[in-house]
Amino acid sequence: MIEVQHLTKRYGPVTAVDDVSFRVEKGEILGFLGPNGAGKTTTMRVITGYMPATDGTATVAGFNVFTHPIDAKKRTGYLPETPPLYPEMTVREYLTFVARIKLGQANKAERAARVDAAMRKTHVDDVAGKHCAKLSKGYRQRVGLAQAVLHDPEVLILDEPTAGLDPKQIMETRELIRGLAGSHTIILSTHILPEVEQTCQRVVIINKGRVVAVDTPKNLTHQLKGAATLYVQVEGDGTAADVLSGVPGVGQVREADRHGRYVGYEIESTHDIRRDVARAIVSKGWGLLELRPKRLGLEEVFLQLTEEAARETGAAPEAPAGPSATAPADDTEKGEREGHG
Amino acid sequence: MAETIRNIRAVAAKELRGYFVSPMAWTMMGLFAFLFGYFYLLYLNSFVEESLRSMGGQFGPQPVNVNMRLIRPLLSNASVIILFLLPMVTMRTYSEEKRSGTIELLLTSPLKDSEIVLGKFLGAIGLYAALIAVTLLYVGVLFLYGNPEPMPVVSGYIGLFLLGACFISMGLFISSTTKNQMVAGTATFVFALLFWIVGWASDMAWPWLGSILQYLSITQHFDDFGKGIIDTKHVVFYLSFITFWLFLTLKSVDSERWRG
Repeated sequence: MIEVQHLTKRYGPVTAVDDVSFRVEKGEILGFLGPNGAGKTTTMRVITGYMPATDGTATVAGFNVFTHPIDAKKRTGYLPETPPLYPEMTVREYLTFVARIKLGQANKAERAARVDAAMRKTHVDDVAGKHCAKLSKGYRQRVGLAQAVLHDPEVLILDEPTAGLDPKQIMETRELIRGLAGSHTIILSTHILPEVEQTCQRVVIINKGRVVAVDTPKNLTHQLKGAATLYVQVEGDGTAADVLSGVPGVGQVREADRHGRYVGYEIESTHDIRRDVARAIVSKGWGLLELRPKRLGLEEVFLQLTEEAARETGAAPEAPAGPSATAPADDTEKGEREGHG
Repeated sequence: MAETIRNIRAVAAKELRGYFVSPMAWTMMGLFAFLFGYFYLLYLNSFVEESLRSMGGQFGPQPVNVNMRLIRPLLSNASVIILFLLPMVTMRTYSEEKRSGTIELLLTSPLKDSEIVLGKFLGAIGLYAALIAVTLLYVGVLFLYGNPEPMPVVSGYIGLFLLGACFISMGLFISSTTKNQMVAGTATFVFALLFWIVGWASDMAWPWLGSILQYLSITQHFDDFGKGIIDTKHVVFYLSFITFWLFLTLKSVDSERWRG
């Protein structure tokens, strides 16, 4: 549905997006994750036809956005970071204007019907008569969303749709986006990790203009975890590390924390060793206070991946080691462009 | 084609609405009417005085030409007023959309850049038409109580209209180059003034340069319209002037996309 190939965007000497490629299947929600200034907005602006790329192609619903911009735009709905509202218009007037420029052929009655449908879909019908200037942040965002879905586009591009909202509004907006999936293919950018875990089927992690990983949120956390990690907290004489190392199947044992007699360990293993570990500790007469599989959150995954990318290019040599599971396939001219990052 | 016209109309209607829901259009129309009315009073007064004086002439009462003595200088004064007013109309066209981010809506909608440019141009033209329509009230009174020749009035208005359209097209371009409305407005005024006075340098040391500058002067092309002459060469000058700036606007919007 959306295909981006070798997309590069330079602003003068600065490379904002560097050889980015990914695809989004029909009905999928793709999370576009990266720190601020990673190139998320620029990539989205290229896909929506707001700006051309320096190199590479982007295709929306089979239409190349550079050679067939009008066809592509008819099938794309875009919510920029700041909802593009005209303050002097009421919500209904605004959406009616949007309908006029987006629904070429439609007559007046059809346009009014679409406006009503979009307002219902995004729950803004109660502010239809209010001026856009007087709307709260949450409503502005939703009217922006109404604008994006108004022409029932196959593709929705949402740039940080939950930025600046309060927790309740964030929940509502996520719910809304999940509801839109299926009938629309969605790309959603964010720098908030739980958002991706909760709403997206697949994630593209981008840092300094390059893709550092593409996968499902689940796989990403699994992949990086490498071998399974177990966390145990033991009340004993502090020598449990040796005993734990003696348990068959245990790889590395690391002391994670120590509060007096309570010591926490992280144990790496190749298979499920929870029973053996528990037995070993109990048989020594120590107290087993906690025993749980440790799962890496996207937070850690993200840090690992971005640090990894930085380390590979020599920008952060001190970064901690991590398994190199999903580095970008194409490593040409790496390092060369980091000079001005 | 039908789609192009529909899109241009949609943008133009939105622009025009923008002017008229804010106090801007009304304030401008009110102040324009006030200034024009004051000029009207001044010229009417001197016209009446002159008429009275001519009654006592040695050849009996001589009619004073209402076109030459009243309408022509009035339209010429109106052109000075729009020199000041139109930069304030065009300064927001692109600058405001760029500042507030609504330009992203326009540029990602299935509209061609040319449709947006023309829509914005025609929207501003609509407001301008409303402005000069106000002056028709004053001139209408002259037709009611006097007998001016209609042709020079019509041609004068065509000239005034074209002159304003020139300022608007230039203002549109300048607005498309900046986010800052004040900068856009000031620069438009300065450039409009430049094209206004450029002909004053016509008696330069180098006659070839003088004649070029003379040709570029927008006021020099305006004079004939006031006399009741619609000369193709002046119409062509104005139309090329407008086309030139609209074309530059289009290029400016396009290059802005590349630069981001």
